[in-house]
Amino acid sequence: MSDPAEVHALDPESFEERVHSFQFWFESVQGYLAGREYGHRPDAEDPPLEESERDRLVTVLCNYCVGETAALDGASGLVAAAPNRLTKIFLSTQVVDEGRHLEVLRHRLVELGVERPEEEVERRVSPRLRDFRQRLDALVAQRDWDAAIFAQNVILEAMEFSTFHMHAQFADPLTRELLIGIIKDERRHIGFGETELGRRLRVHPTLRDRLLRVRSQLDPLVLATFEDAMSELQVPRAEREDLGRSYLGAVERLGVRA
Amino acid sequence: MADFLSGYSIQYWLESCAQGYLEETQFGHEAGVVEPALVLGDDLLREQAIKVTTQLVVGERCALSASSGLINAAPDEAARRFLATQTLDEARHVEIFTQRLYDLGVKKPDLESTLREHANPNLVKFAETLLEKVENKHFIPGVVGQNIILEGMAFSVFEMIYAGNQKLNPKFAQTLSGTIADERRHVGFGENYIGALLKQHPEKKPEIERMQKEMSYYMLATFADQFRGDENRAEMDEMRRAARAAAGEEAPEGTWQGANLADLDPDEMEGLLSNTVLGEFKTRLGRIGIDYQTPSRP
Repeated sequence: MSDPAEVHALDPESFEERVHSFQFWFESVQGYLAGREYGHRPDAEDPPLEESERDRLVTVLCNYCVGETAALDGASGLVAAAPNRLTKIFLSTQVVDEGRHLEVLRHRLVELGVERPEEEVERRVSPRLRDFRQRLDALVAQRDWDAAIFAQNVILEAMEFSTFHMHAQFADPLTRELLIGIIKDERRHIGFGETELGRRLRVHPTLRDRLLRVRSQLDPLVLATFEDAMSELQVPRAEREDLGRSYLGAVERLGVRA
Repeated sequence: MADFLSGYSIQYWLESCAQGYLEETQFGHEAGVVEPALVLGDDLLREQAIKVTTQLVVGERCALSASSGLINAAPDEAARRFLATQTLDEARHVEIFTQRLYDLGVKKPDLESTLREHANPNLVKFAETLLEKVENKHFIPGVVGQNIILEGMAFSVFEMIYAGNQKLNPKFAQTLSGTIADERRHVGFGENYIGALLKQHPEKKPEIERMQKEMSYYMLATFADQFRGDENRAEMDEMRRAARAAAGEEAPEGTWQGANLADLDPDEMEGLLSNTVLGEFKTRLGRIGIDYQTPSRP
């Protein structure tokens, strides 16, 4: 297992070679996935939920499934467009992370009594999230590396990270466990997006304007999606603002400010 | 189909692969195991090892592009999730074989030029034929090309190389052994899943049969380039002499498909490999309802 201090002592090139590798991914996930079944401990506490609470949770999880499917399609579609071996390998680890998220969320739906998760997801998806997914798909199909990585690994991942982080604070024990595992993955994905785009922005500062245009198209959809999710979860108003701030903070770390 | 696909879940992958045969490995082998001094100290053996490993990297890069590219063309979510695990498997293979090139002395800045120099042009055409299907989102031909043709070829090639390296190079043999276990899973998925899909889309068969014939030709041409000609023969003789000298009395090559590899001349090895792979194609394609097409011989 890599010692974090040792990894950060590496020169930039060796650091990238290390943290974008399968080996690094493998050692990272062994820590928090070992002994888990579908994202949680087999004996994790699962108290019954009130019917209305269960129904709201199902809606939220259905929308998470759409977000994770968008991320799976996005990450897999970008492997071919990735400019070098290391970015291809990192994205491959992200592909399996996203596939895992989709699987554990779908499994949670089944645990909650949903018989046909795919149909339920279609029925409950927010139109704003569906729109977001279509826009991300289009950027990936165009193999527009910078814009697609920004939309996928910064905007979408920051949206998911912020939402899951907030939700984990209110969630039932079993949902919380699987969200915490997902959040750990999302942190790695955002780190990759920031590092990759940060480097490209230093070389091509004009890229910032293009990313700003992408952001201006996607921000309203993200914020509206937050609103939908937080309403379902009945999060108090004041805390919803924290969520927006958390997302905007992640996006603005790259200097892509409206 | 959904029940069958549950055996290809990410949970299963984590238990069988990440927490199974890959546990405690580093770049596919036990920590501390290194390339043998014989390979590193003999220019011919080292160069040959670089050439062979280059073909493995080229094949695995193709498999990585294909499996990732097929995800958003997959007709259901379970297949997408399986292909996600396959994408990561293929990326791992790219990484461990690339690492082997470094272990053999290729400098990091020289990686791409080394691959360009040694990549077999017929293997590149083999890959291009498959990737054209993937690029056009032709899912069923793409999965047959990837999980039956490419993986079927890789499976037999890896097994033969594994047999030849078990005694001579335990590090490389260990690396191959994990890869073979992955390929077995991939081929199994291709057979089980595509058979059911083809029943729904029999109109796809002619396209698949044309692709199989074309890919098989390029595969045979790759094998021919590897084994035929005086230069290859002299090189193999020289490598065997060096390996025997280092290993003493014990013959260093192993047994594969009932043949002692040490006793075969290059033409016989080519014949054994070609016939084994084509035989496997015929069997596996038959299982999914595709008529095997005999390729031209290069």
